[in-house]
Amino acid sequence: MNDTLEHIRNFSIIAHIDHGKSTLADRFIQICGGLTAREMQNQVLDSMDIERERGITIKAQSVTLNYTLHDKTYQLNFIDTPGHVDFSYEVSRSLSACEGALLVVDAGQGVEAQSVANCYTAIDEGLEVMPILNKIDLPQADPDRVAQEIEDIIGIEATDAIRCSAKTGQGIDSVLEQIIKQIPPPVGDPTAPLQALIIDSWFDNYLGVISLVRVKHGTLQKQDKILIKSTNEIHTVDDIGIFTPKRVVTGLLKAGEVGYIIASIKNIHGAPVGDTITHAKTKDAPTLPGFKRIKPQVYSGLFPVSSEDFESFREALEKLSLNDASLIYEPESSDALGFGFRCGFLGMLHMEIIQERLEREYNLNLITTAPTVIYELVTQSGDIQHIDNPSKLPEISQLTEIREPIVETNILVPQDYLGNVITLCVEKRGVQKKMNFVGKQVSLQYDLPMGEVVLDFFGRLKSISRGFASLDYAFSHFEAARMVKLDILINNIKVDALALIVHRDYSQSKGRAIVETMKDIIPRQMFDVAIQAALGSQIIARSTVKALRKNVTAKCYGGDVSRKRKLLEKQKKGKKRMKQVGNVEIPQAAFLAVLRIDQS
Amino acid sequence: MLIARIPLSLYIHIPWCVKKCPYCDFNSHRQPENFDALEVVYIDKLIEDFIQDLPFAANRTLHSIFIGGGTPSLFSPKSFERLLSTLSKHIHFNADLEITLEANPGAIEHQKFLDFRIAGINRLSIGVQSFQNSHLKKLGRIHTQEEARLAITFAKSAEFKEINLDLMYGLPNQTVCEVLRDLTAAMDYSPSHISWYQLTLEPNTVFYKRPPILPYDDLIADMQQQGSYLLTQSHFQQYEISAWSQPGYESQHNLNYWQFGDYIGIGAGAHGKYTIADSRIMRRWKVRMPNAYINSDMSTIAQEKQLLIEELPLEFFMNTLRLKQGVPTASFQQYTNLPLSKITSQLDRMVQKGWMHPYQDCLQPTSFGQLFLNDILEEWMP
Repeated sequence: MNDTLEHIRNFSIIAHIDHGKSTLADRFIQICGGLTAREMQNQVLDSMDIERERGITIKAQSVTLNYTLHDKTYQLNFIDTPGHVDFSYEVSRSLSACEGALLVVDAGQGVEAQSVANCYTAIDEGLEVMPILNKIDLPQADPDRVAQEIEDIIGIEATDAIRCSAKTGQGIDSVLEQIIKQIPPPVGDPTAPLQALIIDSWFDNYLGVISLVRVKHGTLQKQDKILIKSTNEIHTVDDIGIFTPKRVVTGLLKAGEVGYIIASIKNIHGAPVGDTITHAKTKDAPTLPGFKRIKPQVYSGLFPVSSEDFESFREALEKLSLNDASLIYEPESSDALGFGFRCGFLGMLHMEIIQERLEREYNLNLITTAPTVIYELVTQSGDIQHIDNPSKLPEISQLTEIREPIVETNILVPQDYLGNVITLCVEKRGVQKKMNFVGKQVSLQYDLPMGEVVLDFFGRLKSISRGFASLDYAFSHFEAARMVKLDILINNIKVDALALIVHRDYSQSKGRAIVETMKDIIPRQMFDVAIQAALGSQIIARSTVKALRKNVTAKCYGGDVSRKRKLLEKQKKGKKRMKQVGNVEIPQAAFLAVLRIDQS
Repeated sequence: MLIARIPLSLYIHIPWCVKKCPYCDFNSHRQPENFDALEVVYIDKLIEDFIQDLPFAANRTLHSIFIGGGTPSLFSPKSFERLLSTLSKHIHFNADLEITLEANPGAIEHQKFLDFRIAGINRLSIGVQSFQNSHLKKLGRIHTQEEARLAITFAKSAEFKEINLDLMYGLPNQTVCEVLRDLTAAMDYSPSHISWYQLTLEPNTVFYKRPPILPYDDLIADMQQQGSYLLTQSHFQQYEISAWSQPGYESQHNLNYWQFGDYIGIGAGAHGKYTIADSRIMRRWKVRMPNAYINSDMSTIAQEKQLLIEELPLEFFMNTLRLKQGVPTASFQQYTNLPLSKITSQLDRMVQKGWMHPYQDCLQPTSFGQLFLNDILEEWMP
C-alpha cells in the first residue's frame, strides 16, 4: 500500500433529483468493479425501500472504488448525498468529507436552484467543483447552452465541462479520468494524532451504531481505544473497513480515507454526526470544525388512531430516531385525538417519509395533523415565546405581536414561466428582493413566509412551470404579521387538532376552502355532519356532509354467514383508518385538508 | 337449553347454471356436457351427505327444505322425487313441510313444473330479477321478460300456491319509475312472496372486477323507500329486510335462518349450522367444487368450526335483526344458551342510540336501526 495520500480522491456529487446522480454512481461502481453484475441492482446506493420507490436518496452513504489510470491504481471515495431540499443539511456534512464535488446538470433541463445552493456550500468548504453535463443522449439536450448557464448562474468555468450520459455510458471514462486530474488528493498525516470526522451514524440491529468517518489525520485501527470528543466516552473499535458498496473489513483507515467503524456504541447519540473521534491516549487532539445542527422547520402532531397503540408508537419513534437525528418529538395530548407526539421535521418530504416508515415498518395507523411552522409571540408583558402548535396560540388580546418566520427563497425559472412564478409569490405574500436574467433562465430572490413555502409551495411552483422552476430556501428572520387562529368545528365541537394559524387577509377564503375540502373527505354517516370554520366566536364558513339514508346489505344467502362477516370486518377495518371525534368518524386525510386546498 | 326446541331445516345446494351471471357470488358453475349422468351421481352423493350429517338432527323432525343453487330447476323432477323420498325414510317430515325449489326462467316447460309439484315440491322461487329486457341483459341473465312471465304462468297453472318472485333494484341506469314498474308487474301475478333486494357488488364476481356504474346512494334510497311504500299499499308485508309476503305466506325456511334456527346443509359448498352437545353451536361447510364434492371418497366436509362464546351475540343478531319484528327476548338464551345479562349493557346502548326498541318482550330493531343494520352489527363484533 501507498503511504502518501497521492492516490486518494474524495468526492461527492451535487445534483438535482432526476438529473441522474444515482445512475452515474451505478456506472462508477460498475466500471470499477465494486459489485458483480449479479449484485448490480438499479440505484444500489438507495438502500431503503422508500428511497428506491421515490427515486431519492435520504441518508449519506459512501463507496470506495479502485480505479486504474495509466497503470496507477487510485482509491476513489465517493460520498453520496441526498438531493432534496429537506435534506440539504446532510449535503453539507457529506461535502465536508471531500476535496471535490461533481456538479451534475441535466443537459436538457439546465441548472436548478438547489444545485446552486449546494454548489456554493461546496465552494465555501473549499472544494474543487467539477461541472458535468449529463443526459447528452436525450434529443432535447443542449449542452452548450447549459454550460453557459452554469457559468452565468453559478459563476464557475464550464466550457470544458465533461459531457456524458450515465444511461448509455458515453463519456463516463473521461469523468473518472478528470476526477483524478482535477480533484486534489487529501492532505493529512497518517502518523499525526488521530482526528476523524463523523459524517453519519446509523443504527443496525445486529451491529449497533455504524459510523461513516473521514480520517483527517492519523491512523485508526481495529482494537484501538477511541474517544468521542463531545461525549468524552471511550470505546474499542470492533470492526473497521470500507464500503464497495458492500461492507468490506480492512482493519484500518488512514488519513485521507473514508470508511466505517463499529465500536459497540449503543445509540447514535453516542456517535453524534459532526463530532470528532481521536484516540483515548491523544485526548487533547483538537476537535475538527463540525457542522451546525439545523432545527426542524415543520411541526405536526402524530397520533395513533387507536389509543392502545400509543406505547408501540412511542417505541417506534425511539427506534426511528436511532437513525434519524433530525427527527425530534415530544408528547402531546389533544382533546380530540388523545395522546400522541408533536414531531419536528426538516420539511414536508421528511414528514411524509417518517409517517410512511412508521406505518409501513411498524405497522401503525397514524393521524398527522396539519403541519405548521414556529411562530414567535410577544406577550403583553413583553416576553417572547415560540409555539409549534396552533392550538397553543393564546388569546390575541394577550399578545402585542405575532411574528412569522420568513425564508429567503431563491428560484430559478425559464423566462416563459416568470409571470406565473411571480403571481404565485405574490399570492403567497412574497416580497421580491432580486431578479436577474441569466441566459434563458431568470434567477429570483424572494422573502416569503415559511408557513407558505413549506406547504406545497414546491408542488405549485413545479406545476405552474411545467416542472422547470427550481427552489432553494433558508430561514432568514421573524417578522410581525397579522396572523389569526382559524378553528374548525365538527358538529359544533371545536377540534383542537384541526386548528390552523393563517394570515388574517386570507382567513375567509382559507376557511371556506377548508370546509369544502373536508366535506368531500369525510364520508357520509348516520347523521348530518356540520363542518364550520371560525375566527374566535365568529363562524366564517360552513358546509354539511348529508346523512346517509341507509347502510344495510341486501341478502343473506343459503345460510352462509361467512361472507357477511367478512363484509363487516372490512367495514370495521375501514373505520379503523378513521378517528372518532365526538360521534363523527373522521378519515386521516381530513386532518391534512389544508394541504389539498393549495393544490386545487 | 334443549336441542329439541330448536327447529331444524334442510338446505340442498345444486351448483350448476346454464351460465354464470356477472353479479353472482354463489357457488355456481356452468352446466357441463354429461349433465344427465352427473345428476344421478350428484343425487346419490346428496343422500350420502345427508346421512353423514343426520346425527346432528338429534331426533328432530324437519321444519323446511330449500333446494337452492345454482339453478336446481335444471335437474329433473324425477331426481328430486327420488331424493325427497329417500330422505323421508331417514327423517320425519313435518306435516305441511315447506319444500322450496329455485327455478330460473328460460328453458323451462309447463310439464316440468307440474312434475316438480308431483315430486313433492310445494313452493317455487323464480329468479325474475327484472321485467325489463335491457336490465336483464346487463345482469347477464339468459332469460327475457317474456320468458319470465311465461315461467310465472306455468307455475300458476301448475297450481303452486306459494310462489316467490326474486326482484332486484339499484341496477345500472335504473330509475325509480322502472323499479316501481317491476314491482307492479310482479304483483300483477299475485305471488305469495316477493324477495326484493338491492344489487350489491360482491367480491369474486365479474361486476366486482369491472364494476358497472350503479345509481348513487340517495337514488337507491329513494327506490327502496318508494318501492316499500308501493308494496305496503298493495298489502304485502315486509317481514325481513328484503322479504315481502302476503299475510301468512312468509318463507318458513328463511324465517328459520333469521331466527337463528339450525339447518343441515348438503351439496357442494353448502353451509350448515348445528346446535350440538353441551349447547355449543357448530358451523360446517362442504367441499365447494362440484367435481371434488362428487368424488370425495371419505367425507364431503370442507371445514367445520365451533362458534366461540364471544362470537355468539354477533351471529345471533346478524340474523335476528334482519327481521322487522325481531324475535322474542327469550329466544336469545334459548338459541345461544347465553344469559341475557351478558348483553344487557350493549342492548341498553342500542336502545339509547335509537337503534333498537326497549327489549322487555322483543329484541327488535327500530326502523331507523334496520336501515343502518351494518353499523349496528359492527357494534356486536367481538
